[in-house]
Amino acid sequence: MVVTSLEKMIGLQREPTSIRNICILAHVDHGNQEYLINLIDSPGHVDFSSEVSTAVRLCDGCIIVLDAVEGVCPQTQAVLRQAWLENIRPVLVINKIDRLIVELKLTPQEAYSHLKNILEQVNAITGALFTSKVLEERAEKETETQGISDSVHGDQVYDWSAGLEDTDDSHLYFSPDQGNVVFASAIDGWGFGIEHFAKLYSQKIGIKHAVLLKTLWGDYYLNTKAKKIMKGDQSKGKKPLFVQLVLDNIWSLYEAVLKRDKEKIDKIVTSLGLKVGARESRHADPKVHLNAICSQWLPISQAVLSMVCSKLPSPLDITAERVEKLMCVGARTFDSLPPETQELKKMFMKCSSEDTAPVIVFVSKMFAVDFKTLPCNKPRPLTQEVIAQRRELARRRHAEKLIASQGQELPEQLTSQTESMTLKTVEQEADKESFIAFARVFSGVVRRGQKIFVLGPKYDPAESLNKLPSGCSAADDLPSIPHMACCTLENLYLLMGRGLEDLEEVPSGNVLGIGGLQEFVLKSATLSTSPACPPFTPLNFEATPIVRVAVEPKHPSEMPQLVRGMKLLNQADPCVQVLIQETGEHVLVTAGEVHLQRCLDDLKERFAKIQISVSEPIIPFRETITRPPKVDMVNEEIGKQQKVAVIHQAKEDQNKIPEGVQVDSDGLITMSTPNKYATLSVRAMPLPEEVTQLLEENSDLIRTMEQFNSSLNEDKKMHEINQKILDRIQEFKQKLEKNLQGRKWRNAVDQIWSFGPRKCGPNILLSKFEGYRKTVWQCLDKTTKEVSKYRDFDNSIVSGFQLATLSGPMCEEPLMGVCFIVEKWDMSKAEEQMSANRQDSEELDATEQTKNEDKVTSLPSSYPTESSSENKKLQDGSQGSPNSSEKSSKRKGETLLADCYGPFSGQLIATMKEACRYALQVKPQRLMAAMYTCEIMATAEVLGRVYAVLSKREGRVLQEEMKEGTDMFIIKAVLPVAESFGFADEIRKRTSGLASPQLVFSHWEIISGDPFWVPTTEEEYLHFGEKADSENQARKYMNAVRKRKGLYVEEKIVEHAEKQRTLSRNK
Amino acid sequence: MSIFTPTNQIRLTNVAVVRTRRAGKRFEIACYRNKVMGWRSGAEKDIDEVLQTNTVFVNVSKGQVAKKEDLVKAFGTDDQTEICKIILTKGELQVSDKERHTQLEQMFRDIATIVAEKCVNPETKRPYTVILIERAMKDIHYSVKPNKSTKQQALEVIRQLKETMQIERAHMRLRFILPAKEGKKLKEKLKPLIKVIESEDFDEQLEIVCLIDPGCFREIDELIRCETKGKGSLEVLSLKDVEEGDEKFE
Repeated sequence: MVVTSLEKMIGLQREPTSIRNICILAHVDHGNQEYLINLIDSPGHVDFSSEVSTAVRLCDGCIIVLDAVEGVCPQTQAVLRQAWLENIRPVLVINKIDRLIVELKLTPQEAYSHLKNILEQVNAITGALFTSKVLEERAEKETETQGISDSVHGDQVYDWSAGLEDTDDSHLYFSPDQGNVVFASAIDGWGFGIEHFAKLYSQKIGIKHAVLLKTLWGDYYLNTKAKKIMKGDQSKGKKPLFVQLVLDNIWSLYEAVLKRDKEKIDKIVTSLGLKVGARESRHADPKVHLNAICSQWLPISQAVLSMVCSKLPSPLDITAERVEKLMCVGARTFDSLPPETQELKKMFMKCSSEDTAPVIVFVSKMFAVDFKTLPCNKPRPLTQEVIAQRRELARRRHAEKLIASQGQELPEQLTSQTESMTLKTVEQEADKESFIAFARVFSGVVRRGQKIFVLGPKYDPAESLNKLPSGCSAADDLPSIPHMACCTLENLYLLMGRGLEDLEEVPSGNVLGIGGLQEFVLKSATLSTSPACPPFTPLNFEATPIVRVAVEPKHPSEMPQLVRGMKLLNQADPCVQVLIQETGEHVLVTAGEVHLQRCLDDLKERFAKIQISVSEPIIPFRETITRPPKVDMVNEEIGKQQKVAVIHQAKEDQNKIPEGVQVDSDGLITMSTPNKYATLSVRAMPLPEEVTQLLEENSDLIRTMEQFNSSLNEDKKMHEINQKILDRIQEFKQKLEKNLQGRKWRNAVDQIWSFGPRKCGPNILLSKFEGYRKTVWQCLDKTTKEVSKYRDFDNSIVSGFQLATLSGPMCEEPLMGVCFIVEKWDMSKAEEQMSANRQDSEELDATEQTKNEDKVTSLPSSYPTESSSENKKLQDGSQGSPNSSEKSSKRKGETLLADCYGPFSGQLIATMKEACRYALQVKPQRLMAAMYTCEIMATAEVLGRVYAVLSKREGRVLQEEMKEGTDMFIIKAVLPVAESFGFADEIRKRTSGLASPQLVFSHWEIISGDPFWVPTTEEEYLHFGEKADSENQARKYMNAVRKRKGLYVEEKIVEHAEKQRTLSRNK
Repeated sequence: MSIFTPTNQIRLTNVAVVRTRRAGKRFEIACYRNKVMGWRSGAEKDIDEVLQTNTVFVNVSKGQVAKKEDLVKAFGTDDQTEICKIILTKGELQVSDKERHTQLEQMFRDIATIVAEKCVNPETKRPYTVILIERAMKDIHYSVKPNKSTKQQALEVIRQLKETMQIERAHMRLRFILPAKEGKKLKEKLKPLIKVIESEDFDEQLEIVCLIDPGCFREIDELIRCETKGKGSLEVLSLKDVEEGDEKFE
């Protein structure tokens, strides 16, 4: 490798034909033409396949590296698929051939068949990708034409050919004779393509170069007598040409060197015309010697890079198909794009670097670099001038010091102070991370300081073209258009491995780094000077993020650093997802365990620079009730068997409901407020599943209704809601009515009082008592509120309901799918009290406080002195305005009702809440678990292990089908969120990476087991034993949540009293 | 008094003594360690797992069994098991190490949960997780007091946590409607109690929507009631002002 100067590379950048975009800059002499090869290296682990995606997008071709021993791995498949999806041309390097010789000790013949096998496997994958594409295209065509063909020729004969026969696929496959395969051993520094040997032997044995090229790989053999190449080596028991001419030589070289056969080595070396240094040949490790010979004989860089130059396309050779694919987001076809955009296709194809050509740049990822490593901050060798300047400064400073020491103040001192200030800010900034966009120019020339449009993924050129004047540029003052921003390209860099070099301009077809985009670009973006440019299709990610963890700073005070660090991480990693949940958890979603580890290290060391701890995320549950079950746990009908006397059962039931609460057999709870003024009767019922679902879906609508209702109640100017929303409400109501039918639910919809929790959740409050007509449907009939005796307190009831639905009795999780019915609400005592008070106060107003003392004594005996003094104060206050209105006196009535149990409205809230909880507890309670739907792609051989992992984690398979044209199975399953931690990793480990699951939250599902269940019948005892706690999944979940929240868990501290260790035996 | 020799002193191991005084006499029963609290809370249902023997003693360590007539006099029955049950529920005992430990741990969690529920991070308006609060409580070396209510202690913890981390009680959102006359005067009085005024509407009546610290609620309620003589009204819009829904960094 020759290191070239920057100028030369800039020169080469101008010539697209000599550019190959595939890591480190390298310069190869190939004939007399020079090439610029941009090599982008990508990580091999499955978790980082997102990095592969970002690299592949910017390239025109790729080198796929295979291990000669291991052959095709799952990751190879993934990589091939990615290259295929991005439409880029691959070449193959089969590496580590030396392992075949040294480790496996294969004979050349065996090695040949092994290599052949590998090639066949790789080609099989390419073939499968190809067939699935052809089949897909065909299916698409069919659906398009079906409509036409069915009506026109009804008697069309079904065409059985899948279209595979007609499509040429020979150019796709890897074959040494095509020149797109290189055999190599990078550790020993050698590699070759068939071409090299073809050239060699055409001179030696006098067979035509072209013939050799064709026959050197394959079952041909050399008939030495006839000096002819014949077909069918195996049948005649001959060595194939490749073995004879190529592998045998390498094997003998290895043998000679490893056995230290001096003579033979010398012979080989001289026959190859190589010179080996004395130091290498005398080295103790034969590998060094080998390396010295091989790297001269068959230099790997030459072999690989010449293959890259000759077989991989230059930016000019971009295929029309690829351009169209890049330009069409999602399901849009190319033809549907606006004409100006279609015009741009030509520019893509031309890849011209003229000034007139529009600039199109794609940013595939943002990567963080240390601020210090930027070229502008790099320490440079000092020039004479700078040194002189510094000397001058130092001298002046010294002079100042002298003067200062003499006690004279000088204004110049100020300047030196400011200088030190600026120095400080620079130091602070040096700590920061700077983001550089990793990008490629597809058309035009990018210059530093250029103004350019940044197009987000949702940008639509058709929309903006109408709005913008034609021929405008990013420098103009433009109206704001969604998903489009303008920015200036501040710095352009040449990426040289880890180093960066400043550039002034970059012509088309090159890979570059752009600085100063971090405000505009999050992860990827399209940059263009033309507004007609469409955003590029989003990157294909093989792995979607699924491993969820919650992260927290070790020291709670470092929260802000963590949040900032997570934001940076999000920008730097194309595949990570970062979110804050409603519970306040900071969740990191990554592609896999290894990816997670890297993300955490990045957070700890680069972005947040704090200690963090990782934990399993909190798993949400919901609480609900069901109908009483008909059969027990052993599938026997309930009520038939004789119950085994259970000592504790009766005791427990009493424990749940305290005294003072009446429960009837039907589950109706009647409760009074502590001061006995009001009595409530509440019943709980399970809602049909469809209704719950309907409520979940329409939570937004319910919220709007709620807002509207509250404004109605306050006599405010009516906010007109538009007809559309009213229609939607009407529709929603009808749907509810449809789903709530039967005797139990008669008129239920009209009686809906509120939804909960938070006034829009999946639970309903019904009012079934007489004399109350306020419902959520107010907004529909627009009746303003009617004055009711309950009006003042109905908010309390609703609040009580909201609180009850927000946290259920089982483990304080929200309720779901429960309907509470208020059947009675008796406030007669309270009213009496209130009216009495009202009269009192009115009287009082009139008589101007004469019998103040009497009044207090006339109050009920339960009245404590504290509130009576408040009462007095109030009355004193009211003297000032004798004409107090009705309203104020009513309010006073309320305050008068306050007693030793606190304000009356508060008592009502608490009573309602408690009543709801008891009403729930008398019904069969159930937990609801959040469920993921899980889609798993797996090959047939690992199917069994996928099922094993699924069933171990309580998953349920819904369907399984084979993907057309491939040997992959698609399995759909549901899995509780609670069991999902580590699921993705486990399934990957167990199937050696051949199955990859995708998890998406889907729904809530009732866990059928009763968390409070204990065996009661004889059969159940027999089946489950006395404790039966091993079986009960629901109880396990419930107790886990209760423990986490610090609620009381019914658990014995010590299981067996006799088995406690006696600690103080020898006292 | 007998002479003390190591052999005639029998130490009780794995025994917890529950004792009570009735009718001027002391009664004791011998129970297993760590089991009595479980019985009282209802977790342990098998009495044989709690009692060493169902005999009622006058002194367990000396092995003096209570006399029948004393039992009848004190409890009204001579059914030893029934008496044991009474003593178990009402008697006093030394709480054993494990029992105390679990009780304290439970309270600690409970306090952390209450704090997490009541507080938010003032920057993001999002709650902290319980685990984080627990860690913060350990960092400030908060020790749980078993005889104070968890709610009281939670308030204490919040005050202490404020010194080390960014934490604040979640604000309450209120709306007052004040008559125009007193409006201005009252507003001045309310101002120090209000954290943020979100909207203010002054036509015929003064309408204010604002955020307050929940600790000031009573004060504000009182102030409005007294000053406006019941004309003003106050409505709680939300008990806790927190961000809802998940937020994704984009």
